[in-house]
Amino acid sequence: MTALVRSELLKIRTTRSWWAYLIAIVLLTGLTVAATIGSSESANRSTSSFQLDLVDTVGGAVLFAIILGITIVTTEFRHGTVTPTFLAEPHRERVIAAKAIAAVIVAIGFALLALAVVVAVAIPWLTIVDAQLHLGDGEFVTRVAEQILWAVLWALLGVAIGAVVHSQVAALVGTLIWIFLVETLLVGLFGLLDVDGAVAYLPFHTLDAADGTGGENLLSYGAGIAASLGWVALLGAAGTWRTRRRNIS
Amino acid sequence: MIEVVDLTKRYGKVLAVDRLSFRVEPGTITGFLGPNGAGKSTTLRSVLGLVHPDAGGATVLGRMYRELDRPLHRVGAVLEASEVHPGRSGRNHLRVLAAAAGVPRSRVEEVLDLVELSASAKRRVKGYSLGMRQRLGLATALLGDPEVLVLDEPANGLDPAGVRWLRDLLRSLAAEGRTILVSSHVLAEVAQTVDRVVIIHRGKLIQQASIAEVLAGAQGGTRVRSPEAPRLRALLAAQGATVTDVGEALVADFPPERIGELAAANGIVLHELAVERATLEEVFLELTGGETTQ
Repeated sequence: MTALVRSELLKIRTTRSWWAYLIAIVLLTGLTVAATIGSSESANRSTSSFQLDLVDTVGGAVLFAIILGITIVTTEFRHGTVTPTFLAEPHRERVIAAKAIAAVIVAIGFALLALAVVVAVAIPWLTIVDAQLHLGDGEFVTRVAEQILWAVLWALLGVAIGAVVHSQVAALVGTLIWIFLVETLLVGLFGLLDVDGAVAYLPFHTLDAADGTGGENLLSYGAGIAASLGWVALLGAAGTWRTRRRNIS
Repeated sequence: MIEVVDLTKRYGKVLAVDRLSFRVEPGTITGFLGPNGAGKSTTLRSVLGLVHPDAGGATVLGRMYRELDRPLHRVGAVLEASEVHPGRSGRNHLRVLAAAAGVPRSRVEEVLDLVELSASAKRRVKGYSLGMRQRLGLATALLGDPEVLVLDEPANGLDPAGVRWLRDLLRSLAAEGRTILVSSHVLAEVAQTVDRVVIIHRGKLIQQASIAEVLAGAQGGTRVRSPEAPRLRALLAAQGATVTDVGEALVADFPPERIGELAAANGIVLHELAVERATLEEVFLELTGGETTQ
């Protein structure tokens, strides 16, 4: 399994999209932090809650985590590299497991990179404006850990989606449509059917609950993580079944 | 070494492979021939565990592919030259697979050298010619130094010098004791390289034999040229021969001895008397109903 994970990590690092991910994370996180600090009231900047919001910017990495998760599966079908991959490891479930592990490692990396950008922008800026820093407090360490775990969950869901939907375009576009349209429509539908409680169990609502910041009509933090992992397990099992059965022709 | 037994695979309404059985003997180069769409790729992909047959199956080295321990060290395969990420360099493509198969990095450089691709190894595959991709595919197959090679149309996209290079490479690989199964829809590409042929058409086995046996079974004739062709033709026809005109010559389905004796007895001058062998390509066309496509 170690060899397969190393192979998967090497695949990720040896195309140009790897650099696109890193640059996008640095730019997006840097701009968000800068905009948050720049537009804030100076009195606010010394508060713990404001600085926690800054740490939450790390959560932006989840978007890249899920895209990476989907892509590391679907790119194999798009370019036909699935053939040599399955020749090297004919037990396809092991390949999917290796991809999931690689996606977790990279998602942690993405979150740490985003964190580094937050720290690199926020600490000098807040120091210059003489704000009181809380970024070393235990509360922050917990929040960072939660954000990293959150990115991991998104990456795992991405791999599971990719294993179910092998077409790269369909998987990426379908996921976006699901997040921004279908779940919203389902919330309305569940309301009409008087089953509002079910809304919290929709996949991206469970993920929403798993970011540690709470929210209305969402599961508790622990239940959110458990339910998110449930979706990962469900889609992962379906994807493994489908991938094993598929004729690679 | 490779054994296919009653292999059947249907895609929707199309019966791609129909109860196909054949064996590839150890240490031989076997040509796997048939027109495009005959079911060659489906068969090879079934052998390699990529396609799930509806019935029957295949074994390599006595086991199903997925049951092989460290399969890339036992079996190497090139299926399609395009199965490479276009944005990855040739070297990195090989490194990725070497990592998965537990092959040392140094072996990547060895196979790059072997297929004469070292100079282009840093370039992204997007910029490779079809011939270079074929070479990269061969390098992939050779990564684990396998005893069995399965190659699907490896000569596609190679120029004549490339085809010769491939032929020499396959010969030297076979000389090392490897078993090679190589498919083609153009018999001439492999006729000089292979020891045996398996010919399929519409998913069914047509013939499994050595090259010599295929030729021996071919319909031939005797070619004869004479200034008195019309008289000779009439004499042969009177003896029951089937005679056809081929340019200035006649081709008759009598052995040359009999034609020579007939001519001598009747005082006919002959300018040429030769056995006409059907070429492998003609045999191939005949066996597969002339439905080759280029």
